This record gives sequence, C-alpha cells and structure tokens, in this order.
Amino acid sequence: MDRADIKKALKDPHKWGEKYSLWVTYFCTGCGIIEIPPVITSRWDAERFGVIPMATPRQANLFLITGYVSVKTLGYIVTTYDQMPDPKYAVAFGSCPIDGGLYYTSYNTINHLDRYIPIDGWIAGCMPRPEAIFIAVTKLWKMIDGEMVDGYKRYKENIDYYRKNQERVLGKKFIESIPSSLPVTVET
Amino acid sequence: MNRGGTKMDKRQLTLYFGPQHIGMVGNFSITLTVEGDMIQKAVANPGFLHRGFEKMLENCTYTQGFPYVCRINVMDPDPCEQIYAMAIEELAGLEVPPRAQYLRTMVLEMSRLSSHLLWLWAYANELGFDTIGHWAMAQRDYFIDLFDMIAGARVYHIYIWPGGVRRDIPTGFAEKMQQTLGGLEDSLKDYDAVFFNNRVFRRRVDGVGVLSQEEAVRFGVTGGDLRATGVERDVRKEEPYAAYADMDFEVPTMDDGDSYARAMVVRKEMEQSISIIRQVLDKMPEGSAWHRPPNPFKWKIPAGETYVRMESARGELGVYAVSDGSDKIYRMAYRVPSYPHGILVLEKLLQGMNIADVGHMLLSLNIAAPEIDR
Amino acid sequence: MREEAIKQDIEQRYEACLVTVPREKRIGISLPKDSLFSLIAFIKDEGFRHLSLITCVDWIEEDEFELVYHLASYEDGIHAIVKTRIDRADPVYLSIIPLFEHAQTYEREIHEMFGVDFTGNDRLTPFLLTNWEEIPPMRKDFDTKEYSERMFEHE
Repeated sequence: MDRADIKKALKDPHKWGEKYSLWVTYFCTGCGIIEIPPVITSRWDAERFGVIPMATPRQANLFLITGYVSVKTLGYIVTTYDQMPDPKYAVAFGSCPIDGGLYYTSYNTINHLDRYIPIDGWIAGCMPRPEAIFIAVTKLWKMIDGEMVDGYKRYKENIDYYRKNQERVLGKKFIESIPSSLPVTVET
Repeated sequence: MNRGGTKMDKRQLTLYFGPQHIGMVGNFSITLTVEGDMIQKAVANPGFLHRGFEKMLENCTYTQGFPYVCRINVMDPDPCEQIYAMAIEELAGLEVPPRAQYLRTMVLEMSRLSSHLLWLWAYANELGFDTIGHWAMAQRDYFIDLFDMIAGARVYHIYIWPGGVRRDIPTGFAEKMQQTLGGLEDSLKDYDAVFFNNRVFRRRVDGVGVLSQEEAVRFGVTGGDLRATGVERDVRKEEPYAAYADMDFEVPTMDDGDSYARAMVVRKEMEQSISIIRQVLDKMPEGSAWHRPPNPFKWKIPAGETYVRMESARGELGVYAVSDGSDKIYRMAYRVPSYPHGILVLEKLLQGMNIADVGHMLLSLNIAAPEIDR
Repeated sequence: MREEAIKQDIEQRYEACLVTVPREKRIGISLPKDSLFSLIAFIKDEGFRHLSLITCVDWIEEDEFELVYHLASYEDGIHAIVKTRIDRADPVYLSIIPLFEHAQTYEREIHEMFGVDFTGNDRLTPFLLTNWEEIPPMRKDFDTKEYSERMFEHE
C-alpha cells in the first residue's frame, strides 16, 4: 500500500474493510460447488482476495449461489439470505441461475433466481473457471466503491414482490414460517 | 445425575444437519433425533439436487442427451458419459476403435483419481487435517489441467461419446501426464506419513462405522465400501469394458469394514489407477479416435433394451436403456452407487453415533448427493 | 454355459415365462405378475443375492407399467433383468422388501415418480419432490417443458 491507498482507505474505512474481507457463506447449492474447493485452497487461493468460507450466514457478507437452484434448495437459500446481516451481496455463479441454463425444461429447477432474491452480479459459464470468480470479486470491489450494489436495500424496499414470487413456488406454509423479525439490519 | 424423574432426564431434540452446514459436502440433509450427543434416529433427506434427468432425457435425441449426462455426478463426470455411450453402442450395435477404448480407459482412471483426491480433501478437512486438504485439492488440480488439455474444459468434458472419443490426445500430453503421475506417487508417501499413519487419524477412524460383510451384501452396497468388508467384487474384473481386459491391476480389499478400511481401500486404489494410466500410455495402439456415428439428425435405433454397468469411483454405475425404434430415448434409468449407501446404510450406521461423526460417515461412505437425486 | 443352465431351471418351474440369453452374463426374464415374487425368491437362492435396481417403464400406448428388477450374482457375475407388467389405471404391486431390505428406497421412488403403490412398504413418503401437486412426473402424459414454462417463467 502506498500513500494514495492509505488516504483512500482512511476516507472510508468501512468500505475498505468490507471489500477486502468478503466472507462467503458455505452452502453447496448446486453443481458449481465443484469449482469452489480449488478456489479456496492453495492452488488458486481466494484468501489473498480476502475471500474465505464462513460456516454461518450470520458472519458472512457474500452469498455465492453456485449452480442451479431446485425448488427444495430455494427455500433454504431464501432463509440463508434472510439471515445474513446487511450489507450483503449475492452473486450467482453459473448459467443456471441466470435463465435456467441446461435445465430450463426441468420440473424441479427454477429459472430466474433474481425474482426470488436480489442478485448483485452474475458469473456466466457452465462451469466458470476459477479466474472468473476472481474477476467477479474485483468487479464487486469497484461496485462497492461506486455504491452500485444495493441488492439488500432493494430487497427491503420490494419485499412484497419477492415474497409473492417465493410463495408461488414454495407455498404458503413456507412464507408463514418466516419469523417476522427478518430481514436483519445492522445500523451503520 | 438423578433429578428424581423430571422431564429433563430424557430430552430428545430434533436437529437438522441441513444443506447449509460447514460439514456438508454437497447438497444433502439429515434430520437427527439426538439425546445429548448420541443420535437415536437419523433420516436422510435427498432431493435438493433433483433435476429430473430421466424425464429430460426422454425429450432428447441420442446426440442431444450428451451434454446432460455428464452432469449427473459432478464429482466423477466421465463414468456417466461412458455408461451412456456404452448403452447406446449396445443398442445400436456401434463398434468402438481400439485406440478410443484405451483413451476412454485413461480418462476414466483420471476421473477416478480426481474423485479420490476430492474425497481426500473433504475427508481430511472434516477430521481437522486442513493441510492435507490443501495438498490433495492442489494435486487434483493438476489432473484437471490435463482434462483441460484433452477435452477443453475443466469439469464437464463431454469427451466420451458413442463411437469413440471426441478427439485424440494433443502433443505433449503424455509427458505432462507422466510428470503429474510421478508427482502424485511421490506425494502419496507424504499423505501416508502425515495422514494415513497419523495416530490421531487412527483414533478417529478405527472401529468407527463398522459395516459387516453380511450387512453390506444385504443392503446392495458396491464399490469401495463393499471391498472394505472383504468381498472382492469390481465390475472392471467381472465384466471388463473399455480396455480393462488388457490391463494388469489388482483390486484392493480390506477386512474390517470400518472407516479405516474404507479409507485404505481408496488410498490403495489410487496406486492402481496410476499404474493403469501408465500401462495405457505404453500400450496404446495407433488408429482413429472415433468411428463416425450415423447422421445425428436422422439416427433411429432399433427397438430393444439393455443394461450396461461399470465401476465408477463409488461403485457399480449402471444404465437400463429402452429404445422404441424412434429417434428419441424412450427410457433411461440410472443405477447409481450412492443410492443404497446414502439412504439406508447411512441411516443404519448413524444410530448410536455422536453428532461429530455425521459428517465423517457421509464422507467415509463416499456418498455423492447429486447421484442420488439425478 | 451357466446362463443356459439357469434358463432351463426357470423354464421348468415357471411355464408362463419368457427367458432369453441376449449375450454373455445377461439373462432376460419376462413373466406375469403373479409369479414374479416367487421367481425372485427362487433365483435369489440360485445365487442372485445382489439387487441392483428396481425401475419402471411407462408403456402408455399399451396402458401398462412395466416393473423391471435387476439382480446380479456374486459368484458368476451374471446379471438378470426380470420384468413384469401391471395395469396403468390402478397400479398396485407387492413389495419385495421381505426378500431384499433395500428395495424400500427404489419402491419409494417409483411410487413418487410413477404413482405405483407397493403393498407391504410402509415408507412410501415423499422422497425427491416437495410441494408436488401434479400427476407423478415420470409418466408419459406429464409435459415437463409446459410445467416449467407455467411455473417458473421462461422469460
């Protein structure tokens, strides 16, 4: 780090700390999980980007949805996303969350993930390479600097839209089981 | 401590070892009924990765089915391609050139090695040996580089197809392969010293999760889990496919049926796979890598049925294929090795164990959740 | 050949069955549903102690389901495909759990995917699907693309 970097960091220490410690919720949602172990271990080493897997969603601020989302998994994704404290970022990994991918005719996979939870970035590919995850992380840093990732704010503002879509696929019982105190907010 | 028979004495909790859990590799869930630390009942909940492959394949022609099938088991994708190709070749009466059979054997053994190294990463991490996890995953990545060279992609290769393989090996491949195999052979000594002969590892796995030979046969267990109970059964020897009839290899077995036996069977299979790949590179005949299949736009296969089977990294992988004389697949039912292991065997073994052993059992039985759900 | 010997044994005991030996290490047996349970018990004693797979094929044009049982022998390495047909409008069959304990999971999946009821299997609970309100999805009259467009929007 040189003088210019230090000045930049001191101007907005919160953003600086948040960018360089994007902790990922450890949730193997779909087949994209096969590229996560190479990324978090020594050969590709995501830790030099500040990205490490975190056991609970309560201590994570990045949610990487790796691969397709089946109906059963969607309920758990919504619950996990709800549990993460603000500010949180959701990045969809793979072609399947974008538009269904290879399984767009399947009766058990959803096609557009951003109608159920807000997605801040997409990584296309089937399977994307580990380099693509690192490019996504560096792009996310720039977007955090430029205040362009406001998925968590959109979620709270448009919660009725998201809950309506979730209820259509997951059923009324799921919506009724969500505690009314969610989503969690951290005052800044 | 006697509390005079209050309700606090026997309290059973329901815990969800759910899909979002640091000890869960793959998207799978187990509902545990525990009393203190002891599991009274375990119920496996698959279905998180169900995509309806068998239904989607019924709408596909024989060529269109290719990109789908390798995605059935993401950890070990090439056997799924091979079994699909074998089913179609048997139904359609296609011949495969000898060079392609050798190339298929090599790719299948590479896939077995990467699956075993992925298992080692997960297993070592689960038991607390993070360093071994890093080593194993980095080593596996060198094999993935070789896949990149031969097929153009790291994970889903779509390399084995009816009539042969998609392309021949590029120049420089054989040297890089020998180098990678030599590196793995040297590393196996390190893995032995730090992991497999480690006293802490032995304390953790000796006598844990014992599956007797009689139980294994009764529950339809195949693969390494069966060989760890002493039954020497391997489809590569029973009904040789690809070029296995020309290969000289052993089928390692152990006798105790506990987690240590299963881990050692995987460890010894890695050595056998290295030897098989070396034999393939030595003995590979010249020739073309594939026979041109019929026009894919008009390919109709005569009506019939077949069952083909092979040995994937986890056990007997099979396909029951039915064709009705049209250009689309009528029915393709997959027999996957993790099916009996992941539901009934897991539920039976987890009874009476500690919560700490749940993740351990999942990995010791080498269960792949995407296979069970298809 | 061992396959031929087994074929003759079966043909002697069961008159209405059709046994073929398509190639080495394969036997195909097709018989009416009333004799299937006893045939499976018979060949289990002959060495076919490994139940590999139970699956179902929907022959919608003929209005029948075909239940297919795959058994293998440890000693000989022979694989037997045993098939029977049941009525599609009211699909009920006997469970083979008394012979093979782990048939429970295969029958559970066939129940969910095709709608076949197995008497004697007390664990025919939801397996892979959740909140499923349509007809069993593996039936030929279920259109997966149409369902996906309706439920999950293709645009």
